[in-house]
Amino acid sequence: MVSETPSIDLKNVSKIYKGRIHALRNVDIQVHPGEIYGLLGPNGAGKSTLVKILMTVVRATHVEGTMLGDPIGRKSTLTRVGYLPEHHRFPHWLTGRQAIEFSAALCKISRVVRRRRTSKLLEQMMMTDWADSRIGTYSKGMQQRIGLAAALVNDPELVLLDEPTDGVDPVGRREIRDILVEMRDEGRSVLVNSHILSELELVCDRVGILVKGSVATQGTIGDLTADSQRYEVLIAGDAPNWLADFKASSVEVPDAGTKLVIPTADPESIQPILDRLRAEARTILSVQPFRESLEDLFLRAVTDPESGLAMKPGANRKRPPKAAPPSTPPGESGVGT
Amino acid sequence: MIQTLALLNAAYRELNARKLFWVTMAISLFIVAVFAMVGINEKGLSFLWWGFEFEIVNTQFFPREVFYKFLFANFGIGFWLSWLASILALISTASIVPDMVTGGSIDILLSKPIGRTRLFLTRYFTGLLFVTVQVAVFTIASILVVGFRGGSWEPWFLLAIPLVVIFFSYLFCICALVGLLTKSTIVALLVTMLFWLFIFGVDSAENLTLRGSIAYEMDLEQVQVDLDEAVVMGDPIEVTAPLLEVVERTQNSYENWSIFHFWFYSVKTFLPKTTETIDLLDRTLRKKAGLGVAFPDEGDRRGPRSGNMFGTTSYIRQRDIEQAAEERLDTRGVMWIIGSSLIFEALVLIFCCWRFLRRDF
Repeated sequence: MVSETPSIDLKNVSKIYKGRIHALRNVDIQVHPGEIYGLLGPNGAGKSTLVKILMTVVRATHVEGTMLGDPIGRKSTLTRVGYLPEHHRFPHWLTGRQAIEFSAALCKISRVVRRRRTSKLLEQMMMTDWADSRIGTYSKGMQQRIGLAAALVNDPELVLLDEPTDGVDPVGRREIRDILVEMRDEGRSVLVNSHILSELELVCDRVGILVKGSVATQGTIGDLTADSQRYEVLIAGDAPNWLADFKASSVEVPDAGTKLVIPTADPESIQPILDRLRAEARTILSVQPFRESLEDLFLRAVTDPESGLAMKPGANRKRPPKAAPPSTPPGESGVGT
Repeated sequence: MIQTLALLNAAYRELNARKLFWVTMAISLFIVAVFAMVGINEKGLSFLWWGFEFEIVNTQFFPREVFYKFLFANFGIGFWLSWLASILALISTASIVPDMVTGGSIDILLSKPIGRTRLFLTRYFTGLLFVTVQVAVFTIASILVVGFRGGSWEPWFLLAIPLVVIFFSYLFCICALVGLLTKSTIVALLVTMLFWLFIFGVDSAENLTLRGSIAYEMDLEQVQVDLDEAVVMGDPIEVTAPLLEVVERTQNSYENWSIFHFWFYSVKTFLPKTTETIDLLDRTLRKKAGLGVAFPDEGDRRGPRSGNMFGTTSYIRQRDIEQAAEERLDTRGVMWIIGSSLIFEALVLIFCCWRFLRRDF
């Protein structure tokens, strides 16, 4: 249980572009010190907009809350925040070292300190050999490493990373994942936007899923997938007719046998079922605990419950529905009733 | 201060990478070198070891120091710095604002603890700083040439540095505004050139109508004198009637030219005065550095019967019109020329800052 003030404590964040595109709707998010928070969502869900609001790149239509204890939008707070934008573009004529030092200088870090930190970060990102080559000659993955180093050069308490593994090869992704864990171990808070759910699942303490500008769900992965925990028992032959006594939710008949799906996380509660199956001399082929993956959780969140199809990408362009006109004739409305 | 130096350093690296900054600098120095290679003697002109005899252009008519000052004022400032070098400077600095506001780049800048107004203005003045360097190098090199070759050390030439930079800033503010709004270097450059053409057009029209109104003002005085003399002499109506008609016609022409001049002058008041800003240097050099302007005297020998391009009834020399126009232009104060232009620039920059502050990226 984290007791300190949240690193990010956002309430009622709304952003409306051009008066009609609702990029964010009353978003509430908390990121606690020393945790990695994964912000998920389909394209156009508002993830980058939310991060840009925190970094003062975009002005919120409405925002309450704090970042590192200061009101959102205060420039001086940004000296303690690191940020890797999505599709960031350092000038191609700068070398990797110059780009990191430029970021450090804009954070008001003295020359001696920024040189020392730049060298250390280049080493950490395994870019020392390329440090003095122009960014224009870098691969996408190398540019991403430089971007990450630039985000960390001010030794931030809070790091916001927008698609940090974009364009990075599997080895690089693993390294970035290790860096995230390292940052958490150092006590920094990390907010990560990413489409690569399997990676987030490995490192995130908590996740939030944004769908069409609203938070569909957030919490620890364990909490969010708790309802989906179940045991699946595969037996030979037909399903027994006494399953209803044990509140087994469903029976499936795959090729290999009959699958009994028991919605529980408690192994003790499936023992009576197993005992009875044995008592009836049935053959138990397998007993497996199951839990929804982050991808399952994500897909569930972005699926329209009515149509069963994935929601269309992009922000909601429609205006909020107006109140329905009164069905009663004028003069008969029950104001105050 | 660390942030400002970092932005300055980044802008320098940007210009350095583009090469055009150095190309412009090299051309500037080449022009000064050519300037130094030209000589004048009692027989005519010389270039390196070649001599060219001229009847008029020699030290008997042009003292050596006047010749070099004339070259600097008319070709160095009037042609190179205020036209070609300015176009090259615009091309090399036009990308400063569009590149800053491009996606991916602006995110990095805005996410740092630096105010948007400061960020924008630092980038803007960085552009001007590089033009200042270019103009300063050219001017100082020219002072050395005039000093060593012409034997006259003229500190007033240094006035070219602020004047050319101020002149350039009128155009650069438009370039920055369009770059901010469109994020496109090409569009920014194109619109700036068109704006420059527009203010040049307004300025030319104002100058033309000023000369027209002066010509007809002089004409009116002359025909009025003719009429008065005829009346005093008691000439018959057959003589005075046509003169009266001429006076009325001249009066109409004068009023028409004056009205047009008034409108062009009014429009010009609200616009940056590029030509007149550069002409301030010429005005100063005439007064302080003994660089008089010789008006062409062709009206005395050939040309239209009226002696000028406006077709006046009386014979009025173009030279006299030019001189009167110069005198009128000289009465225009520095505050009107530079002050009103800087107000225009300040308004554009205030709008830029407001837009930059309000904009989402």
